[in-house]
Amino acid sequence: MSFGMGMPASTAATLGTMADSAAAAVAPRSRRYRPGPPDEVFFPVTPMLDMAFQLLAFFILTFKAPTAETHIDLYLPATPAALPSGPRGQARPSPSRAIDADLENDLLIRAEADDLGDLKALRLGEAIVPDLPALGSRLRRYTRLLGNRPLRVRLIADDRLRYEPAARIIATCSAAGITSVRLAQPGAIPALRGLPPRPGAGGGAR
Amino acid sequence: MGTRSTSMISPNLTPLLDVVLQLITFFMMLVHFGSRLEGSNRAVRLPVAPAALPGSDLTFDRLPVALDQRGGLRYGGRVLLGAAASAWWAEQAKIRRAGLELLPPGPSGGDELPTVVILRADRDASYGTVRRTLAEAQEQGFAKFSLVVLRREQP
Repeated sequence: MSFGMGMPASTAATLGTMADSAAAAVAPRSRRYRPGPPDEVFFPVTPMLDMAFQLLAFFILTFKAPTAETHIDLYLPATPAALPSGPRGQARPSPSRAIDADLENDLLIRAEADDLGDLKALRLGEAIVPDLPALGSRLRRYTRLLGNRPLRVRLIADDRLRYEPAARIIATCSAAGITSVRLAQPGAIPALRGLPPRPGAGGGAR
Repeated sequence: MGTRSTSMISPNLTPLLDVVLQLITFFMMLVHFGSRLEGSNRAVRLPVAPAALPGSDLTFDRLPVALDQRGGLRYGGRVLLGAAASAWWAEQAKIRRAGLELLPPGPSGGDELPTVVILRADRDASYGTVRRTLAEAQEQGFAKFSLVVLRREQP
């Protein structure tokens, strides 16, 4: 019987015995082996820090404090009622433009100005509204009642009203979930009940 | 003479790097490359409307204009009044229509322009002036407007 490349069995047994004795001789030596502390692995942080400082400098230099500006989006399609250019009843709709047929269903907000241009009176439909938070809560109630149906508002304000209170009214409408706010001229609709006609508030005042 | 042993002093930069990366993250979160201040004008003091919600993203084609206290339309360093402002709106609409001719008709159809007019009107301007300005733009086919307001008074 032979192992491998013609090696007799006795030789193989002898080799096996030698290997065992060699292992026995090495084993005590390996137990005595005391490995030293591992070499410290240095990760090169400095280039990374340089890069980080560069980035930091860039962002600090381009940093702008958050602004308080925001946008109130208005969609004002050119409809006859929304166009205050011509005299009343003579608006010229372009045939290619879509015309809303139910403008009369819009909710009316009427804002009156005093002599200084500040807001004097605010009405929702024909009801007097004390202030803008009250207007907002009523509009939110309307939007809840209407559910998914869109609610549109037409703002009819005196031309001498300052823009700031007018912008606040528009912002209140937008925050209340009004889908569309139209800006109408003061004489765009007949005078509401209880509101005497104001001088200079007639139709077509442009 | 004795020998002096020199040992390399290496500061631990890892905490510093941590802090710097935190700062970078902070500024990256706050960075704003948008055009929120597009068309800003020192002659115009914006109205404060606390009820205004954060605005939506604006579209690609924007036309920022400012309206000063006297009702002058400010664009590109010029102040336009009356007929000059009307002519300017017509010119802007013509320019945009000429560009739109190259594109397929949009979903809105008609002669309504997709441009968003960003209006920065002075808080002391009259509502009538703002309304007439919007109406002039409307007559030329502009239908999408964005009124710029402040949510709080800025220092």
